[in-house]
Amino acid sequence: MRSLRTVWRFVLAAFAVGLFAAPALSQERFPDKPITLITPFAAGGSSDLTARVVTTYLHQYLGQPMLIRLVPGQAGQKGTLEATQAAPDGYTLVYTDNFRDQLHQFTFRNNYYDTNRDLVSVARVNYGQIGVIVTTDGPYQTWADLEADARARPGEVRLSHSGLWAALFMPAQHMMIELGLRFRMVPYRGGGPAKAALMAGDVEFSMAFPSTIAADLEANTLRLLATAGPQRLIEDVPSFVEIGLPATTGYIHRIVMAPRGIPDDRLTILRAAFAQLQEDEQYLAAMHRLGENTEYLDGADYEQVRLEQQRDYRELVDAIAGL
Amino acid sequence: MLESLLAGLDLALRVDTFVWVSGGLLLGMLMGALPGFTTSMGMSVLVPISFLVGDPLIGIPFLIGVYKGGIYGGSVPAILISMPGTGASIVTVFDGHELTKQGKSRKALEMSLFASAIADFCSDVFTLVMIIPVAAIVLGFGPPEIASVMFLSLVVIAVTATGPVIKGLIMLGLGVWVGFVGADPFSAMARYTFGTSELYDGFHLIPMLIGLFALPEIFAAVRDGDLPGSRVAAFVGERLRWADLKRSLKTIFRSTAIGASIGVIPGLGQPIAAMMGYIAAKNSSDHPETYGKGELDGVAAAEAANNGVNGPTMVPLLTLGIPGDAVTALLLGAFMMQGLRPGPTLMSSSGDIVFGILIAMVLANALFVAIGYVTIPFFARVVTIKKSLLIPVTIMLAFAGTYLARANPFDIVTLIGFGLIGIAAKVARFDVAPMVMGFILGRELEYTFGQTLALAGNNWLQFALTERLGMTGVVVATPIIGIFLGRRMNRFRQRARERDQAEAA
Repeated sequence: MRSLRTVWRFVLAAFAVGLFAAPALSQERFPDKPITLITPFAAGGSSDLTARVVTTYLHQYLGQPMLIRLVPGQAGQKGTLEATQAAPDGYTLVYTDNFRDQLHQFTFRNNYYDTNRDLVSVARVNYGQIGVIVTTDGPYQTWADLEADARARPGEVRLSHSGLWAALFMPAQHMMIELGLRFRMVPYRGGGPAKAALMAGDVEFSMAFPSTIAADLEANTLRLLATAGPQRLIEDVPSFVEIGLPATTGYIHRIVMAPRGIPDDRLTILRAAFAQLQEDEQYLAAMHRLGENTEYLDGADYEQVRLEQQRDYRELVDAIAGL
Repeated sequence: MLESLLAGLDLALRVDTFVWVSGGLLLGMLMGALPGFTTSMGMSVLVPISFLVGDPLIGIPFLIGVYKGGIYGGSVPAILISMPGTGASIVTVFDGHELTKQGKSRKALEMSLFASAIADFCSDVFTLVMIIPVAAIVLGFGPPEIASVMFLSLVVIAVTATGPVIKGLIMLGLGVWVGFVGADPFSAMARYTFGTSELYDGFHLIPMLIGLFALPEIFAAVRDGDLPGSRVAAFVGERLRWADLKRSLKTIFRSTAIGASIGVIPGLGQPIAAMMGYIAAKNSSDHPETYGKGELDGVAAAEAANNGVNGPTMVPLLTLGIPGDAVTALLLGAFMMQGLRPGPTLMSSSGDIVFGILIAMVLANALFVAIGYVTIPFFARVVTIKKSLLIPVTIMLAFAGTYLARANPFDIVTLIGFGLIGIAAKVARFDVAPMVMGFILGRELEYTFGQTLALAGNNWLQFALTERLGMTGVVVATPIIGIFLGRRMNRFRQRARERDQAEAA
């Protein structure tokens, strides 16, 4: 009995010493304690899942665990605000996307933060390209069929999307502006219910990231009519550029940001850890199993992408407001 | 299909699968029992474990164990300290905590466990057997149908409120109105937010529930003081008897069927199922006036309905690749991590593994009962500790739980605000149950009604009469059902009044 107690005391003492002594011993080393990764999303979405894959493998390259802190709410503004107000010491980062980073400044007014002023890119983890989807037993065989029908019946062709100013909504807005079409937008709570509405025949078409519908494509229940980007993803499916949309339409970039003001050497360490992560076979395999690509981009390069997005989104939101 | 079923049985009967399921169930129960720590948060934290375990017959049953355990675990604080551990156990508070105050906490907890386990078992078997045929039906139930059922439910709640109708209506209306606060779901225009960004999302459910249900109980306990023998319950009460369970079996099966039907529709979830199950039980009972006053059947109705949802949410997930909520989205990720792609090809490509997982899910229910039963005496004893200890702990749980849910300081304000409303309602003898129901069902009605309008466009009459006859039928039947149930309830109200007068005399 007594010996057990002695063991416990030893463990506790060792733990306490470790806790207080570690920072003193490694003053120069960053990071010397766990890093918090704020995710401004609700639990369970694809962003939450990919963030968890990243944190599962990244700690090997940081030497410290990275802990996810879910701060959902206000279309992502709650978590973003918290990240912008955190000390710029590299111990608080935010896992976000291009809509929350660059679009929402034009769609949700807020006086509390400015993502361009307050956040700097650590890494782009990956991106997703959206596609236009219909059911195989529906009326449309090609994008041209859909476009012709939407032109003939303005405001009648229905589209299910996953919420205002989000990944399925934005490409549809681009289409309406660039191609002079008018869809009837029906909101659903997330991509799952939006896909269900399409399969039920409640709406004529929807959008999805091809990775989320791989099984449906294989079973030939859903069909892709067009996919985002300048190049074709699938041989006989036109790209967005071919159907007359800008090359940047329909992308979601998953990005890790740090509060601006973070010391340069710490930012370098963080960026290097993400670069090393790209060599990790287990990480790559895990992302690919989720159907996600691993098109990593260094934070310094992503800063350029942000500037382009800011310009594009401003133009788009002005155009929508002008309708 | 039969071949893969047998192959699945072979796969599922493994010791390590059951060890992991047990671990998942226990973790889930503990997380569910912790107020503010919802099932989806718990699963989200644990999902990397299933990534690292390379075996689908360990990682996924483990998560399913967390899911089931969490939905049941939420009922423990709901019954004991009037604090729903998760949104799923709101309705369990209505009768569960009354039973605790009557010194029957053990009976209530055991009823919750058995109702949950029976519902889980039956709905899991249903899922296993019906997964392929049911998938086709799932999609027939869209926003218009959901809207009409929400409308019917609100009418039924209004006409069958226990106590004076006008008080029930006021609280129901207040709940519906509180649900309007925040950005409207269609144009993102802020409503009743007074220009604050904190209210942009509306009121969060968890602090609202803890405020409305737990704070008034704490207030009452503090007011009554720690008199000799005034422990919240000096004894945990007797066990659940077979006769008690038998009396509620009909309710359990009805609630299971309701829960399972709601489970196969993507996105509705446990809180709505629990409300539907409770309303149905109350209205088919021959003593509806006892509901909300410590009716064991009410606990059974709520808990069977919310656990009945769990298994059937796998139907749209596995066969159509449609996750309806956060929990199923996490499971989708877990399946994909194991190289299984939920969708129309899953059953033909890896039917044996899927059936193995589903069979493990069915068999896990035996462990569910065992683990739950062992932990109940420990939980039930919580209320026997001295009030001077229990009250501070309850207050701490209320505030910590509120903060834990979203880490949002404004939620503390919400908690206190709704706590004051709850206390005022208790003093004025208003029931807060219709308010919570109005809040949840009203928001769902608004959303699905808006979706229905968007789907219908300008030709709404044609839409209602040709495309959506089911919806139209429910809407037309609603006033008739309302009048019928209202009259029935009036008879019971009168009977209760006569009995009270007789007792007074």
